[in-house]
Amino acid sequence: MLQVTTSLAELCSLLVDETYGELPSRIFSILLKKGRSTASQLKEYTAMPSRQLRHGLAVLQQHNLLYYHLDKPNGPAFYEANVEHAYNLVRVGKILEMVESTFGAPAKDVMQNLLLSGQTRVADLMAAYQEKIDRANNAKALDEELGITSLEDTDGVNGDSHPAKKSDLIIKSSAHLNSVICRLIEAELIDLCHAKTYETYDDIYETVEKEITATHFPGGVKGGKQKADYQKKLAEGLRQVRGESKSLKRKLEQNGLASKRRKIFQDLDLNGGVKQEEDSDPVLDPRQVIRVNYEKCSVELRSRRLVQFASDVFGDITSYVYGVLIKKITKDMPRCRLDPLVDVQGEDDEVNEPLAVSTDEILDSLKTSIDLSIGLGKPDWSKISAAATARVVEHAPKKKLHIEGATAVGDASSDEGEDSSDEEEVDGDYKPAMTNGVNGVNGMNGTKVPPKERKMDRRTQLRQHLFLLSESPQSFVRHSGPDEWTIDFGPVLTALRESELDAVIEETCGTQGLRLVHILRANGKLDEKALPNLVLMRKSDIQQKMLEMQRAGFVHVQEVPREPKADVKKSFFLWFCDVAMSKDQVLDTSYRAMVHCMQVLGTLREQEKDVLSTSKRTDVRGREQELMRKEYFERYSHFLKSERMLFHQLMKADELIAALRDY
Amino acid sequence: MSGRGGRGGRGRGRGGPMMNGRRAVAANSTPWATMDTGIELDGKPAELFPPYKVPKAPVPNKKEEKQISYFLLFREQCHDSPLYTHSRTWVQDRSTTNKRTYGQDQINRRYGQSSEATVDAFNAVPTYSQQFQQTSRTLPDLSSWPFAKEFFPPELHATLDGEDEPANKRRKTGPKSLGLSNITSYKTAEDLEMEAAAEQAGGGAEHEDINKALELLNRVEKNTAEGGEDGFLSGEDDDDWVKNNEGDEDAESNAADSDEYDDESGDDYNAEQYFDEGDNDDYDDGGEDGGQYYD
Repeated sequence: MLQVTTSLAELCSLLVDETYGELPSRIFSILLKKGRSTASQLKEYTAMPSRQLRHGLAVLQQHNLLYYHLDKPNGPAFYEANVEHAYNLVRVGKILEMVESTFGAPAKDVMQNLLLSGQTRVADLMAAYQEKIDRANNAKALDEELGITSLEDTDGVNGDSHPAKKSDLIIKSSAHLNSVICRLIEAELIDLCHAKTYETYDDIYETVEKEITATHFPGGVKGGKQKADYQKKLAEGLRQVRGESKSLKRKLEQNGLASKRRKIFQDLDLNGGVKQEEDSDPVLDPRQVIRVNYEKCSVELRSRRLVQFASDVFGDITSYVYGVLIKKITKDMPRCRLDPLVDVQGEDDEVNEPLAVSTDEILDSLKTSIDLSIGLGKPDWSKISAAATARVVEHAPKKKLHIEGATAVGDASSDEGEDSSDEEEVDGDYKPAMTNGVNGVNGMNGTKVPPKERKMDRRTQLRQHLFLLSESPQSFVRHSGPDEWTIDFGPVLTALRESELDAVIEETCGTQGLRLVHILRANGKLDEKALPNLVLMRKSDIQQKMLEMQRAGFVHVQEVPREPKADVKKSFFLWFCDVAMSKDQVLDTSYRAMVHCMQVLGTLREQEKDVLSTSKRTDVRGREQELMRKEYFERYSHFLKSERMLFHQLMKADELIAALRDY
Repeated sequence: MSGRGGRGGRGRGRGGPMMNGRRAVAANSTPWATMDTGIELDGKPAELFPPYKVPKAPVPNKKEEKQISYFLLFREQCHDSPLYTHSRTWVQDRSTTNKRTYGQDQINRRYGQSSEATVDAFNAVPTYSQQFQQTSRTLPDLSSWPFAKEFFPPELHATLDGEDEPANKRRKTGPKSLGLSNITSYKTAEDLEMEAAAEQAGGGAEHEDINKALELLNRVEKNTAEGGEDGFLSGEDDDDWVKNNEGDEDAESNAADSDEYDDESGDDYNAEQYFDEGDNDDYDDGGEDGGQYYD
């Protein structure tokens, strides 16, 4: 899973410290440092009294930051740190913003409370909301009794201590809450906790393995056929365990109304739409325990990032079209990266085959207010070569042949060499594909393209946008069949990663450095002596730049001796550029930058300790301006400003990390 | 020259002819003599702090502003939750602690302990304004939180029930509920400025009355809402002090309520009470083995 480096470990424990306090963070950092340990071992490592330790562990477990494993039902537990969840604390802001913009404010409120409370029983959540609703109702009743009606303007002043009034209550009733939770479960953003949720992947693997060997292969696995069978069974078992958290979603879908309801939810105005559906939602089992599913959240965040990427390349309208397509395709995609063991082997599974979406489907979900003619060039039809247009459609069968290859490449690594071999494959397959697709061309394009001079209907415009996306070197979209579109995430993400890396390189080594890197990427390994001719720069300049970049970790050098007896003067020095290696380097730098941000924040807090403790006083809170001395107040607002800036930087760094590591 | 301290003797003979005690330099023996004479050597030392273009982060756009606000609000609400431990025992004073640590022992030692011995004598005398100070918790308050116990290892179950306290301190847990945070905003610097502007515009005086009325309302409301729990606590606990200092959310509302200097604070001058205060730290009286680490 996640590779935990020293800086990442430090960052995670700082994040836990920031949100959940010192006690959990101490235990968490020890767990990261020492790995799997029992409570008594932890006690020894941390030199804490065991009562304190137990409290800390309970808090960590409540917030889903631990894995634990029991050998015997009542024996000691082995704890392990959940690094992904700890790191995801930095994304909370993004996740909440994403949920709000896709599902509306009520969903955001529920999500926020789930994030706050960690794993939560549905009944408890319901009760808490009910209490809040009751309180608001009481307040309203009191208001009416006392005859105070127009208080809206004072709200801001007194906001913190004042409970929400009925009018600004986000969740209006428990039925409303129920439907919001159902919606989030359908979107997979909320998961069900089950018996194996808190086991590490390795533990689950081991149990499944044991079970399979015991039931199906008591005599051991022999021979190629059995081995394949065994692998298949193993993957199936693992998939079954993983699928358990989705059981609630399946149940909701079985209810039959799910898909219909979802449509209403999308189409109608959020507030208006909810009212009608509430009743049709099944009431959730109050004993069930739910928690936030970060994996799906990062899928959603990835979609948004890709749309942003498309908008950087093409512009708003095209990226909007892309957004609609990506939403359709990722709807049932549970995670960004497929597990090589679990996902690849199931041939029958739909996970492997990316969903194809037809043009009409996209057209149906486009808002009519979007003017598709914007963002498209309108060259004379005579200037468009028929061959090129034809080629666009051709892509379908040819690409179909190497889908498996493409996705596998994207998943394994984003290496230059493999990319070029990809290219060759494409060319090789190109010829037969040509003959294949000609019919398609005549069928569709032939009728639409030529006659209308300037005026294109909406559907054609949409198709133009999609062609634009599919023809780009970043290969945003693949035209997988006549009028069907799909996305191969491997190549797009490789392009995204490269563009992110390029931005970093340009920032650190300047445009010349970036140019050198591009040349190296295009050519593979290059001899030091051949470089000046190719790059058209002075030798000394090149050397200086290359050394600078090598120090930064963007390019690497390999020494190849000419003779068996290595001689420095005679050997070749090959420069090359390894995306994976520079990725690790950039990741590490980003972690350090983030750690630094947190440390700066800590120091600022220490400096402004007296101011902050004043501002936290119960009588001052919410009325800082009135009660604090001017000098103090200035320091306080300055601190708040710097705090925001630091977190902004933190999130920027996280964006880079997400693009390079998680998507 | 010879390392044995003798300048002179035989060494002098080998060093070449001497001119007034300095050695004559041969015409081409220095490395710079062979270089072209047009070069002017820059003898200045390198600048200690050369001018450096500090990269400046772009201003956050609207979406990012929103994300930051949500994160800060989330953090603030986390800090409001009963599971949060306020205490910072980590010694940040650089003069007393070494920056670098070797081994876990030293890291552990960094986390100073709060006990009677570490009380800051200058701030220890109770003052009026201390009642507004946040009550800090050294241990999370698990007793009021509804846990889904099946997802916790069995060894933690007793802790979750609040039965992990030493016998004399154990208090009956009230009804467990997941309290939603009342904090609905985290002030930004802009908010504060806006507020200040509004204040200066002169709206303040009019709202004063309404504010007071609202506060009153809140109090009434809170009392009705939490009345049951209050009664429960006071019924069980003879010890008033425990209620005030260890009670969960109502500690805060209590503090807000007691605007006037009420009889509670009379205890400030009760010497025994004063020293009892040390018991507040939960490190020390920990179950079986707390003491040995802190003596």
